[in-house]
Amino acid sequence: MWRMMRSEWIKIRRSVIWLLVLVSPLIAALFGLFAANKEGDFPWIEALSLMSVLHAMLFLPLLTGVYASLLCRYEHAGGGWKSMLASPVSRTQVYVVKFILVMLMLAVTQLLLFAALLLVGFAHGFNGPIPWRELTTSFAGGWVACLPLAALQLFASVALQSFAAPLAINVVLTLPNILVANSARFGPYDPWTQPMLAMLPRTQGQDYGAFNISMETLLIVVLGSFCLFFAAGWTYFAKKAV
Amino acid sequence: MASDTILETKDLTKRLGGKKVVDGVNLAIGRGDIYGFLGPNGAGKTTTIRMLLGLAKPTDGSIRVFGKDIRKERIAILRKVGSLVEYPSYYGHLTAVENLEAIRRLLGVPKARIDEVLSIVRLTKDANRAVKGFSLGMKQRLGIATALLGDPELLVLDEPTNGLDPAGIQEIRELIKSLPGKSGVTILISSHLLSEVEQMATRVGIISKGKLIYEDSIQRLRDQAKGRIRLSVSEPEAAWRTLLSHGHSVGWENGVLTASQTDNRTVAGIVAQLVKADYEVYRVEEESASLESIFLEMTGTEGSL
Repeated sequence: MWRMMRSEWIKIRRSVIWLLVLVSPLIAALFGLFAANKEGDFPWIEALSLMSVLHAMLFLPLLTGVYASLLCRYEHAGGGWKSMLASPVSRTQVYVVKFILVMLMLAVTQLLLFAALLLVGFAHGFNGPIPWRELTTSFAGGWVACLPLAALQLFASVALQSFAAPLAINVVLTLPNILVANSARFGPYDPWTQPMLAMLPRTQGQDYGAFNISMETLLIVVLGSFCLFFAAGWTYFAKKAV
Repeated sequence: MASDTILETKDLTKRLGGKKVVDGVNLAIGRGDIYGFLGPNGAGKTTTIRMLLGLAKPTDGSIRVFGKDIRKERIAILRKVGSLVEYPSYYGHLTAVENLEAIRRLLGVPKARIDEVLSIVRLTKDANRAVKGFSLGMKQRLGIATALLGDPELLVLDEPTNGLDPAGIQEIRELIKSLPGKSGVTILISSHLLSEVEQMATRVGIISKGKLIYEDSIQRLRDQAKGRIRLSVSEPEAAWRTLLSHGHSVGWENGVLTASQTDNRTVAGIVAQLVKADYEVYRVEEESASLESIFLEMTGTEGSL
């Protein structure tokens, strides 16, 4: 497994993927610097809401798809699957490592956004102690809620030769997020909406639609659907003729 | 040969969309063989090779490599196999060294091996250039370097000269010819051109429409390809009768005499006889039935068009 990771590292360390990691945190930082309310009662949580809304609604699901696609693109393009799978490695390992990498890239994105939030807070000189618990829950929750989506997008990226097709699927299904989030019935089950449900703080009257459901319920749905999607993708990959 | 068989397939069959792309193929490759796996495009070569490497699953039949079943011990087998399938695999955004390093980390061989294989395929000079700028021939050589990286006991090269210009083909051929001497590997090399493997293969298997229609030593194939002598003379029919009456076994077709025995003494005897009997000898030419024509005869031409 470790050998596999080190091999992947060679392939991604000079990839464009690193530029994408910066996009969302930078945009969020601009939001925070120019639009944050310094005088509120809960400046940190308000800033979190402000900075993470676009990220959780749009960038996080989109990036999940882009990372999965990018990590498979160079394998499709140059026949990398063939040489990798004709090496003494198990297909499960290959698939698991690809998935871990998608989640790692997402973790880096989340950490950078977290860092951006802290910087904005310090720059504005927010009052009150930093609410570590809430912030950590938000960023970690958003990350965990990407699991099912990452599994689906990796499945699509592995199955489809084209780089654009899985991304197109992803964009089309990401856009209705704001609508789906309003539905208490469908929201929790939509992998594209889950990151937003998990990440946005629920303090200020955000108790409409799917935001009503508890974090525990969401977590169960997320983990359950993740297992299902991951198993589907992995089974497909294990049998795929290369 | 059977005593030390490195690769063996039994009734290997692959069905794709109801059609048997590979149909009951029994291959046997012995240690140290350079096995030429021949067949026109679409005959099932690549599909067979992908099954041998565990990249695709057979519909039926079994594959044993180094005496192990590919279904059960794929990883142990692949540890000792180097391969190049159809087109060379590469990561365009990486340099040649990085490409090899990515695979080296999977194989766990020493780093020094990268320089070794690069020098074997003569890419040392271009080692630190991005592969997307490589010519097809260089990519092909990099593919061979990748295949050699793990110091394999069995080297599987699928159409390694596909799409190359004559100079590139020559280069790859020289390279492959030099390999067994250096490391004593067994090589399976597929091609749709007999001439390409003719000079290096010790054994050949010919596949057509999914079926293995010939498998034997290259020498046996050569024996079938013996040429004959054609003589054009004045008054061929009369000349033919004269020769026959003097005990020479010659044929007569379309106004040309043909002799299937082509050793110098026989030919000299025939010519002397003709001259003595006052026939004019216009041409004495050798017609060599090339391996190529035998190959075509076996496989039929429709597949290659």
